[in-house]
Amino acid sequence: MSLLQATGIAKRYGGLTALSDVELSVGEDEFIAVIGPNGAGKSTLLNVLTGLVLPDKGRVLLEGRDMTRAAAHKRVRAGLGRTFQHGRPFARLSVLENVMAGAAIRSRRSEAELRKRAMTVLDQMGLAADAQAAIGSLSYGRRRMVEMCRALACEPRVLLLDEPAAGLNSAEVDQLADRLSDLRAKHRLAIVLIEHNMGMVMRLAQRIVVLNFGCKIAEGTPSEIQRDPAVLSAYLGEGHRHAGV
Amino acid sequence: MSMRFPLLLGIVILIAGLGLSMLLTDYHLRLLNLAVISAIAVIGLNFAFGYAGLISLGHAAFVGTGAYGVALLTTLLGWSPWLALPVAVAGTAIFAVLIGLPLLRLKGHYLALATLGLNVSFSMVAANWIELTGGTNGISRIPELQVAGHALADERSYLWFALAVLAVSAAVAGLIHASRHGRAMIAVRDDETAASMTGIDVTRVKIAAFVLSSIYAAVAGGLFACHMRFISPEDFSYAHSITYLAMLIVGGEGSIVGAILGALLLTFLPEWLRFLGSAYLAFFGVFVLAILVFLPSGLVGFRWPGSLRRDGRSKGPAMVAASKEVRP
Repeated sequence: MSLLQATGIAKRYGGLTALSDVELSVGEDEFIAVIGPNGAGKSTLLNVLTGLVLPDKGRVLLEGRDMTRAAAHKRVRAGLGRTFQHGRPFARLSVLENVMAGAAIRSRRSEAELRKRAMTVLDQMGLAADAQAAIGSLSYGRRRMVEMCRALACEPRVLLLDEPAAGLNSAEVDQLADRLSDLRAKHRLAIVLIEHNMGMVMRLAQRIVVLNFGCKIAEGTPSEIQRDPAVLSAYLGEGHRHAGV
Repeated sequence: MSMRFPLLLGIVILIAGLGLSMLLTDYHLRLLNLAVISAIAVIGLNFAFGYAGLISLGHAAFVGTGAYGVALLTTLLGWSPWLALPVAVAGTAIFAVLIGLPLLRLKGHYLALATLGLNVSFSMVAANWIELTGGTNGISRIPELQVAGHALADERSYLWFALAVLAVSAAVAGLIHASRHGRAMIAVRDDETAASMTGIDVTRVKIAAFVLSSIYAAVAGGLFACHMRFISPEDFSYAHSITYLAMLIVGGEGSIVGAILGALLLTFLPEWLRFLGSAYLAFFGVFVLAILVFLPSGLVGFRWPGSLRRDGRSKGPAMVAASKEVRP
């Protein structure tokens, strides 16, 4: 049984079809990338999965339980984690307090236990030295790592990442890719990655889903996707065969 | 913030207040009593506005609910004030839940306007339900509080009691701030969507903050009723709600110490500036504006110029470190 499953998802905004009949299935431990040109519906799909947007049609199942209409915080408590496109840590809390807010997902944890769990996550992600720092004093890349730590502290089984590499320099992107492979190895965590950085997608993803104009146009391994004619025309236009010649 | 801070805060309040109570004249003791009671209400408002970001212009209505609760239970039913106080506070909390459920669906300016409407409605009901509230004549002969057979009739002994309540209120607020509930409220104000994606039930946290703030308001109202022993609708008009908000902003929103400082300053300021007459309101407006421009985080954000210079020097190495981080 797949961990997270979306079937027949459709969403329209007025006359614009953001998603039509999109399927997505994420198994245990799987690393899936969702790619597509700007406006393809990737973020809308993520919002439907996390409950920030309700779909017009279709169902979202988390470990077999119907979550299509469940509130976002209930999905998070059921094992769905997410980071945002430009990073949204809580600005008025310290780094440690941000991650402690995530660890508080299970009630009945003492303050000392929350602190210990948060420090463990910060340590794993290389942010332990910044634990007491204010969010505003961190670089953009580190702020996004704080958000990732906060999501991890919620102990997700599926983690959805919305363009985590956007705005990072190449050294930071490499570091992020290493950390993500590490995380999966250590935590038995499934990851759904939305990303424009193809180097990172091809290196990490086991399976790639391609969206264009709200429809799924291809799905397969990185090498299959690189040769798929529908994908090539979506990214490069119909005339691409002639372009290189 | 460690767990020691709330305890320390309570002790400082008690010692400072006891010292002042020995020095001041009766008139100033009366003002200090009013300031302490306002401080309790403003610490409450800090939960809703300072932490959870709910702009409430109806705080005085909850102060009024607590005050009228105590006044009615003691004068109509002949209850002891000690019994009337907790019952009035509990009643106000229930009222806040019922009013909060529909109201907190609104955000920002709409919430501000709706809470303002709540306050105006409260004043209308209090002024016109004459059989119950006595209308604009108010309710008089509220019995005084008795501690171990000793009536808290004079300003000094009432101040001691009010200080003890303030110290406990401030310490409890400090404990909540340092707990997961405090963090959840701050998270909701910073970013509702990100808070919900951290497993925080945003609606529940907002209602909790709103109810908590109304509980503090009701405690302040009950203390006010037992202190003045006479209340009328005017004491809880929307102008008082705006004053509470101004106290919080001048003192420093999001800070318990700021709430207390703001309540003290804005209670004594009109007395110190009495020579200005009706020009006081103009001064007050400019004063609040100056605070917002020069001390955007309120009085608690004030730093002596000397320490500013030290901070300036220590920025050097930090900036070097930051520039290294950007280009590894």
